Amino acid sequence: MQSRDRIRLKSALGAAAFGAALFAAGLAQAKTITVWCWDPNFNVAIMKEAGARYTKAHPDVTIEIVDFSKPDVEQKLQAGLASGVAEALPDIVLIEDYGAQKYLQSFPGSFAPLSGTVDYSGFAPYKVELMTLDGEVYGMPFDSGVTGLFYRKDYIEAAGYTAADMQNLTWDKFIEIGKAVEAKTGKKMLGYDTSDAGLTRIIMQSAGQWYFDKEGGLAIEGNAALKAALDVQKKIQEAGIYKPATGWNDWVAKFTSGDVAAVVTGVWITGTIKAQAEQSGKWGVAPIPTVDVPGAVAASNLGGSSWYVLASSDVKDEAIDLLDTVYAKDVDFYQTILQDRGAVGSLLAARTGAAYDTPDAFFGGEKIWQSFSKWLGEIPAVNYGIFTNEVDAAVAVQLPKLGKGESVDAAIEAIAAQAKVQVQ
Amino acid sequence: MSPRPGLRRYYDINGWSFVGPAVALILLFMAYPIVWSLWMSFQQGRGMRLSFAGFGNIIRLTQDPVFQLALGNTVLFFVVQVPIMLTLALFIAVLLDDPHLKFRGLLRTLIFLPCVMSLVVYSVLFKSMFLLDGIVNQTLLALAIVSEPIPWMSDPFWARVLLITAITWRWTGYNMIFYLAALQNIDKSIYEASRIDGVPSYARFFRLTVPMLKPVILFTTVTSTIGTLQLFDEARNIVASDTSAGTAGPGDSVLTLSVYIYNLTFRFMPNFGYAATVSYVIVVLVALLAFVQFYVARERDR
Repeated sequence: MQSRDRIRLKSALGAAAFGAALFAAGLAQAKTITVWCWDPNFNVAIMKEAGARYTKAHPDVTIEIVDFSKPDVEQKLQAGLASGVAEALPDIVLIEDYGAQKYLQSFPGSFAPLSGTVDYSGFAPYKVELMTLDGEVYGMPFDSGVTGLFYRKDYIEAAGYTAADMQNLTWDKFIEIGKAVEAKTGKKMLGYDTSDAGLTRIIMQSAGQWYFDKEGGLAIEGNAALKAALDVQKKIQEAGIYKPATGWNDWVAKFTSGDVAAVVTGVWITGTIKAQAEQSGKWGVAPIPTVDVPGAVAASNLGGSSWYVLASSDVKDEAIDLLDTVYAKDVDFYQTILQDRGAVGSLLAARTGAAYDTPDAFFGGEKIWQSFSKWLGEIPAVNYGIFTNEVDAAVAVQLPKLGKGESVDAAIEAIAAQAKVQVQ
Repeated sequence: MSPRPGLRRYYDINGWSFVGPAVALILLFMAYPIVWSLWMSFQQGRGMRLSFAGFGNIIRLTQDPVFQLALGNTVLFFVVQVPIMLTLALFIAVLLDDPHLKFRGLLRTLIFLPCVMSLVVYSVLFKSMFLLDGIVNQTLLALAIVSEPIPWMSDPFWARVLLITAITWRWTGYNMIFYLAALQNIDKSIYEASRIDGVPSYARFFRLTVPMLKPVILFTTVTSTIGTLQLFDEARNIVASDTSAGTAGPGDSVLTLSVYIYNLTFRFMPNFGYAATVSYVIVVLVALLAFVQFYVARERDR
């Protein structure tokens, strides 16, 4: 905001000196689109690329990207929306898909509908659906969070396993390999944060369920997928194949520093992994391990987010135009962000591009994008509801207790009891 | 000689125009929010869609295990931490009051110094110092005090120990200053007389110093209790997770009422009404505890 004011001040000074004609020109140059998003290796870098493409054709527009951590973006957004002060808000904000309906429903009128401008028929339908409220579509669908098992080939091989062993894993087998890796290399298998429910969500969705049923009602007790997810994490903790992590940055540092042998997460982490150039060739990608639940597959989703334009923005039209021009129409843009950042977009037309067929040298020449595209089509559809954060918190309270001997059934009972009060 | 009625009104108008702006600002920024939050605590709803709910939020309090956990944690913190800190502060104050002590000024400054630090800055420092492979664990390992690194951040018990250590470090010096100031007001001749009468030093401390400091001890107890009840920055920054679950410490072990209010407002589906209700719980608790402490420490007529 400050710099926008500064630019306004500059143009005002210019006007005083050079007259009214220049004043109009100065105002036209003052169009700054402020964007809030997280992850410098991913969303921030991609928005920079999008901005560069847009400003080439529209030199009168400047894009200012503010890089926060995800919780900070969400909390600042929520505070800004609640205060009703437009100056406290950006023009474009990135919102994770789990939270989209929460914002749309709690702050009606705060986001600009894009239905009139954007042709949504070209996007993956599940992405469009989660940003639709009362017949209006509010966001620009962005990346998918299709998951994969990223692993260090050198550590796995040292433990006596091959890349072929990493395909079609069950979680039990994964833990077994983890023990072998520690015995042979001294490295742990995973970085694991017991205050993060991410792994719970990955496993649960791979088995086709969520915290909520299709109608949005709580589905904690009797949820076989959730039970399996907690079961796996109890085994991981009891087997001690993890290195405890505290918070996001610490968790990322576990695998970027080479301290652990594997990471199970969304495809958007590819950019962060590839940022460690000296580890080139050492990484492999496999489908995620499966659980023994009917209908469970080796594909899931974690995160994934979309861009939203604030209704209070004074450069609303430019912001919408930026999103529409680049994210809804520029297929070449999707090729670039896929290769550079590992962004699997949700614009269906982008999938046919050549980049999806390119082998990636960082991953030893594997055609990883073809794999991710294939897994993307296998993700079971679930209803994220509007209370994922609340139930996540209830789950995260129980996770450390599982490692200390609490039974999975007792954990589910406690999660259900906490969630029931939180979800209202 | 009383001023004539006209003159008095003139003074009144002048007086009111001096205090008027301050009163208006206090009404606008203090009284109005307090009344409005009380009104909000009777409302329920998501985000800006609030509707009147009567005592619905209070009923919800009784059924909410997270609120009960937060309340339990908060009570635990002030029951354990406030006595530790105040005892420590009192002893340090008495030690530093000794006129034979060298470098008194320097030591006083050093012990008061943590208090000057911003809450967030010191929280972040503590966080990095107490990581699993942080400097504290490395030091403890190097000195062979522990054989395994202490899981400060991932074990509920140690997370609470860490939080109590941190607040004690930050606030002991602050309370010490009050005691030091009060010690200066005690007449030295009382000590002299008791020494001549052969009163041992521990008895001088418990029978003379402590009773004479009673008003200050009461004051620091009340302010420390209120401060601990409102504990937020440390719980939010030292051990809180930045994941979407956002638990404060492993298993919400350092979740305080203030952090819960924050979560209800900014992290979860925004529920301003219920958050206001929880904040009124703190108001009631502070009022009750202050009353109890004044009652216990009242001057008894003999």
